Amino acid sequence: MASERRMSKPARTDAVIIGAGASGAAAAKVLCEAGVKVVALEKGPWRRKESFGGDELANINRYSLWPDPLLNPRTWRRDTSDEARVDLFCPVPQMVGGGTVHWQGWLPRFTPDDFRMRTVAGDLPGATLADWPITYDELEPYYLKVEWAFGVSGQAGANRFEGPRSGGYPCPPMPMSRYAQKFHQGCAALGWNAFPTPQAALSRPFNGRRATVVSAFAQQHGDPTGTRSSALNVFVPDAVATGNYDLRPDSYVRELVLDGQGNIRAAVYEDAQGETFEQEADIFILACGAVETARLLLLSRSGRFPNGLANGSDLVGRNATFHEYSAAVGTYDDPVYAWAGGGYVSASTFQHYGHDESRGFVSGSHVAVAGVGIPLPINWHLPGAPSWGAEAKKIDRDYFSHSLAVAMVLHDMPQHDNRVDLDDEVVDAWGLPVARVTLKPHRNDLDQGRYLIDRGADILQASGAKGITKVYADRVTGNCSHQHGTARMGKDPDASVLDRWCRAHEVANLYAVDGSPFPTGTGANPTLTIMANAWRVADRIIAERGRARTAPER
Amino acid sequence: MPDTFFDAHQRATVEAAMARIIPTDDTPGAREAGCIDFLERYLSGLGYIFAKPDGSGFETLEGRSAEAWMRRVTIMRQTYRSGIEELDARARAMDGVDFIALPPERQDAVLRAIETSGGDDAPSAPADQPALQQTSTEVELPFLPLLVTHTRQGFYADPIYGGNRNQAGWKTIGFPGPASLAEVHAGRYTTLPYFADGEAEKVKEFHDGL
Repeated sequence: MASERRMSKPARTDAVIIGAGASGAAAAKVLCEAGVKVVALEKGPWRRKESFGGDELANINRYSLWPDPLLNPRTWRRDTSDEARVDLFCPVPQMVGGGTVHWQGWLPRFTPDDFRMRTVAGDLPGATLADWPITYDELEPYYLKVEWAFGVSGQAGANRFEGPRSGGYPCPPMPMSRYAQKFHQGCAALGWNAFPTPQAALSRPFNGRRATVVSAFAQQHGDPTGTRSSALNVFVPDAVATGNYDLRPDSYVRELVLDGQGNIRAAVYEDAQGETFEQEADIFILACGAVETARLLLLSRSGRFPNGLANGSDLVGRNATFHEYSAAVGTYDDPVYAWAGGGYVSASTFQHYGHDESRGFVSGSHVAVAGVGIPLPINWHLPGAPSWGAEAKKIDRDYFSHSLAVAMVLHDMPQHDNRVDLDDEVVDAWGLPVARVTLKPHRNDLDQGRYLIDRGADILQASGAKGITKVYADRVTGNCSHQHGTARMGKDPDASVLDRWCRAHEVANLYAVDGSPFPTGTGANPTLTIMANAWRVADRIIAERGRARTAPER
Repeated sequence: MPDTFFDAHQRATVEAAMARIIPTDDTPGAREAGCIDFLERYLSGLGYIFAKPDGSGFETLEGRSAEAWMRRVTIMRQTYRSGIEELDARARAMDGVDFIALPPERQDAVLRAIETSGGDDAPSAPADQPALQQTSTEVELPFLPLLVTHTRQGFYADPIYGGNRNQAGWKTIGFPGPASLAEVHAGRYTTLPYFADGEAEKVKEFHDGL
């Protein structure tokens, strides 16, 4: 009977981590190995590697891994005068392992300047550039820890624009794909630095795991072999092995509730059977991804926080950045097989990454080679080609193995009005308001995007491409699945949501460790930094607990 | 579970339209690849949504996922019913016969007429969008982009779904797909031979599949 719905209260624990993806699993590993008891509440299922397969249709077209848009919709609008429409904006797999379940795992480090973009680039009108409250040097040891936990394949020192390293990569670079070879040739001809893209896959057997099989079903596919590295097959088993990790899949947190002191008392969640629970803990760590973390904060309203938890600043959900993936596409006479290895066993350049005032826009981004879009038979498509008929078939036949893309990961600028909030009409399958994304590109995003796509075309031309098509990004669609900024960290409580340890200024036992603390989006794939930062925050939490335990009684 | 949805006329009509989406030339087209069987299975209900990853059959959907998929299939069935009626109505208006009775060039003309009548607001097929990474929400597509999408899926999806017969689609474009889903699942499938010269040889000792 609904009126007598009872809330079960499982035993109190040390820490609740909401989400078991890249950041949540990283924090769990570190905390559990230090003896902290963790309950992890993960909205999605806990799939084992045996449940994954080489099935383009299921994985990419039928939402086997992507969130089902009928169950987990989001909405998007350009600005507040625009009507929001249902859109699969910036989706990430919602399951144990999160985005790392289906990624290819490009793991470049951010550069030292990424942590001080406001200082480097100055004030950009319309944007809310901010320095990070932490530096590259502080994060560097944690980069190395994650690289070694994952067995990342890469070549230390090959990226001339990278910050100092305290150690090399555990595995040598991945084998050279033909498309990476073209990229290296093009960059060499232009006199630009290029390097093998560091990847979360094992080029050699490592830590008891086999070398990667280099399947075509990689990017956007789960890995049945366990030879790509993910939170699911590295951090989760590490945490489980401690006996301190109580990972509860299919557990959807609806709200965080406060105690009389203004700390979080419990996470209220619903299990697969629809039963509701209240999980109490000393501390609560949000690791839902920047979109869902903001949504959960905004869903958790109280007398103390009528506009959402820890949102006295009105900054929760704001300054959202998403990158944008777009490319110059080239065709070649000789085959480049840009589907081999899934199309993302790549080469990269940071030649156009750093800020250069003479270009007339702020910053730049990672440029790398890949297959065209999703370079597998169903979803491959040459830009501008017809979608059906004899000509469409001919293009499939002639260019499927003879085309590649030089792509950018746009460093989009944070803006106050680009935000995540709650939709006032659309609800998900659990009846809760969905995340509504309001997002308009900054002029800088468009200018930087054109510049980078043009440089991609330079590389194509220098490597002997016959036909070149530039696909400029005219808006930010969230197609990278990268998301940041919705609870930015900073020193000033009026200008940020979290402090330098990613703890909420306004709520002493609340942390966020996904991309939401990032004050700027940077121009590089964020997950290595997200995991390194989660590790750093977990270390801090452990140290604080140690201090509390050894403090003299008062 | 039945693996058909269309009646004989509907089936023949969609099969003929698919044969214009991916025509037969000196290589197989949608007809030879069995794209219509792929679509029939898809629209038949929930029996063929997700293959088991080892290729041993199909998953049984339950709970919210089953509800979502039944909603989706129901919407697409209606899109096809009315789309087939439109094909015939336009064919009769143009040449006085059903769509299947038209010669290929006239069938193309019908399809083009539908394509251009969509208006600016109609969502385009995923294939019309730039080189992006993301999938689309299929159910929102109008008839023709949906048909194009499904023809392509039927031509290139793993043969377990009923199309891509004898890997006809993959062979047409030179994609060396796995012999079966089981090959990928067991880690025996690799694309290393398609890397740069000599690369596979360098790492041969680490790979059973080479």
